Amino acid sequence: LIRARRWGTPLLLLALGGLTGSARVRLERLPGRSAEQELLYLPNGRHLKVLSLGHAGLLADGMYLWAIQYYSNYDRQDRFRYVEHVFDAVITELDPHYVDAYWLGALILILEAGDVEAGVRLLDKGATRNPEAWMLPYLAAWECYHAGQYARAAAYFERAARIPGADPVVHRMHAGMFAKSGDLRRAVLLWRQILDNPESDAASRAIARRQVRELMVRADVRELERAVERFRSETGQSPRGLEQLVAAGYIDRLPRDPDGRDYAYEPATGRVVPPAGRVLGVR
Amino acid sequence: VPSPLAAIRAIALNTFREAIRDRVLYLLAAFALVLISVAHLLSLLTVGDEEKIIKDIGLSAISVFGVLTAMFVGVSLVFKEIERRTVYTLLAHPVERWQFIAGKFTGLLAVLGLNVGLMSAVLFLVLLARGEGAGSLPAAILLIFVELAVVTAFALLFSSLTNPILAALATFAVYVMGHLVWSLRLLGTRLHSAAGRSLCEIVYWILPDLGRLDLKAEAVHGQPLAAGHLLAALAYGVGYAAVVLWLACLAFARRDFR
Repeated sequence: LIRARRWGTPLLLLALGGLTGSARVRLERLPGRSAEQELLYLPNGRHLKVLSLGHAGLLADGMYLWAIQYYSNYDRQDRFRYVEHVFDAVITELDPHYVDAYWLGALILILEAGDVEAGVRLLDKGATRNPEAWMLPYLAAWECYHAGQYARAAAYFERAARIPGADPVVHRMHAGMFAKSGDLRRAVLLWRQILDNPESDAASRAIARRQVRELMVRADVRELERAVERFRSETGQSPRGLEQLVAAGYIDRLPRDPDGRDYAYEPATGRVVPPAGRVLGVR
Repeated sequence: VPSPLAAIRAIALNTFREAIRDRVLYLLAAFALVLISVAHLLSLLTVGDEEKIIKDIGLSAISVFGVLTAMFVGVSLVFKEIERRTVYTLLAHPVERWQFIAGKFTGLLAVLGLNVGLMSAVLFLVLLARGEGAGSLPAAILLIFVELAVVTAFALLFSSLTNPILAALATFAVYVMGHLVWSLRLLGTRLHSAAGRSLCEIVYWILPDLGRLDLKAEAVHGQPLAAGHLLAALAYGVGYAAVVLWLACLAFARRDFR
């Protein structure tokens, strides 16, 4: 009897443990909830904020960390369905000054979910609430740039460039965007501003100096070629030389490149070529 | 006859020693361990500003650990003395009842001060190791401490009135309400009756607005504070704790021991 008692209790405990363990394994094997169901009931951040009793920042961190893990799991196909809700309505409502959440959410929306407008919307919201974060309009500008919306990108770069403490690269991108959108004269103006700004760093200044030269040549070439084109369409023949454009009143005077050299002209093709020996940015 | 201050000091010192003997400081070791390991873990999990998360966790942990200590140690202080009947011995001495409560309050506040101080030191060290300064975190931590003083005063008030379990529940309820008082204003705007509106308004002003003592978000994001914000919050919290402590002394003075 004593022996039975000595072995009985541990055996019973073992059996109970085994039963619990196998039940756990069974539960594990049951079909889980789908990702969609998991997120369907995620409450709005403003409601969670009330429930957090003053610890909204911590809750936002938790949600943010969870979102990073969730959206870097590539097994799920439908995981982007609620991404705007997670970042826009939950995390950034819990902590409106969580700048990381705005840009990371926007990147996921744009690069992974392919929704540029939603991403830019999130960046806009972040920029309104955090006027000092130049990163947000800067990123919005890049995303517009990649989407081919150059004028909009330029506007965002301008907004970022106006924020005190913005990285020099923002100013450079701002100027570069006007060159990209074809507004070469305005681009030259902005590069000149960088060049003349005593606060510009050496790298920005060197880039600005090169860009001013290059863009001025490009603007000149474009203006001359347009004049040639007009001459052709109005007279029905190509001008023999560039001087003829001045004589006929198509341009006021012949421009020269920044080194003071004349532009060359190929009557056969109607193309204007910058002085030899330089490969210039006709991209 | 000892001076009132000497009596309060003696009781406070005793309370402090007792709490230390109760291993309240184990909490601190746990905090330090959790914070340091979390700091390392997060560098693997997050994208962007890790220090923001460390600050959030640090401040919230200081606040939550502190509130739990204030609540559970606070409600048991008076009860223990009554249960062990040491309160009879104590009150047989030339000690006023209010001095007993004031001493308990001071002693527990000293324990909480030690708690908060050590936890803050760990937090600052972790941040320093990552090349980050404290910024305006000390202001936020100071107000957390003031919030703890208010919670402690309520814990003493309730434990002078009722048993520890009820007192702990009531203290927790005050803590929750203290972070939701703004909703009374909201409720007031939705009410039709003028009497209901004024009742909401009165309760709004009477309940402790603990949300006003919360500068965590401002400190973490390094945002500027409105002029006089810190001073007004300090005055409010300290004044509120003093009033509740006074009520606790009154309640304890009227209590009948059998």
